[in-house]
Amino acid sequence: MADPLELAVREQFNNPVQQRETSMVGMWVFLITEIMLFGGLFTGFAVYRLAHPIAFDQGSAQMDFRLGAINTAVLICSSFAMALAVNSAERGRKLRLAGFLVLTIVLGLLFLGIKFDEYYLHYLDHKAPGISFYQWGPEAPYIEMFYVFYYLMTGLHAIHMIVGIGLLSVLVLRTGLGSFSKDYHTPIEITGLYWHFVDTVWVFLFAIFYIPGAHMR
Amino acid sequence: MSQPTVSIKTYTFTWLALLGLTLLTSLIGLIDLGVFNLVAAVLIAAVKASLIATFFMHAFYEAKLVRVVLAGGIIWFLILISLTLGDYLTRGLLPFPGK
Repeated sequence: MADPLELAVREQFNNPVQQRETSMVGMWVFLITEIMLFGGLFTGFAVYRLAHPIAFDQGSAQMDFRLGAINTAVLICSSFAMALAVNSAERGRKLRLAGFLVLTIVLGLLFLGIKFDEYYLHYLDHKAPGISFYQWGPEAPYIEMFYVFYYLMTGLHAIHMIVGIGLLSVLVLRTGLGSFSKDYHTPIEITGLYWHFVDTVWVFLFAIFYIPGAHMR
Repeated sequence: MSQPTVSIKTYTFTWLALLGLTLLTSLIGLIDLGVFNLVAAVLIAAVKASLIATFFMHAFYEAKLVRVVLAGGIIWFLILISLTLGDYLTRGLLPFPGK
């Protein structure tokens, strides 16, 4: 029987090290395109925040920053679980690897649950632009703009979370099938990079949407 | 790849630091600092992002090319935001209509 390590190397690569490095750089390039995608939205937010600082602070004051802080902690814990999953893969501990992957998924789902609960509370409060938005006063249209940014950016982030949970589920399945070993676990590392990146985006979303108006509550 | 890239101990310290900084962000948010509430929150977020990139994402344990790619991405984003804000922040500084 051929060496399993040899089998894992595609013909365009000289050796497993080169193959792994290519995958890692490819994933980082993809993450850079994601920085540009979210970066455009952050820049748009900055421009509107400069134009309407009072409305954006009032919009932020309507957020429950405690839920935001709890969600940040949940996501940081899920990133920690993901980091431990990569560590288990590097040691070749398959059972621990599967366990930490499942824990990452569970914490990701908990985050989405809290997030969607927040969306529902906003909806009940008539803070859903285009569906039911009722606020009065000279700043109201710009508070609505704050909510447009809020739904767009946290919504895009939530879509990334759902994709990440899908990827992690496939990894749990492949771990069960025995696809990964001490010598070959690049998909775990790459998905880990994606998960940590999505976590990083949320850290900034928490900072710009929840914190500026927290003292006005 | 015989040794894990980053030890569990380092991961644990990173995790605790991130949780601590989240608490710090929330506490600073409760004090009225004017526009510096947002500035402080974004600065702490940047510190958290570098912790995640360095220790969770192994950015400085990988091939040099990874660092070049990451630096390239950050520089392009800084160009995007600094040129845009350079326009919006300086409007109305000159005594000409429309400038």
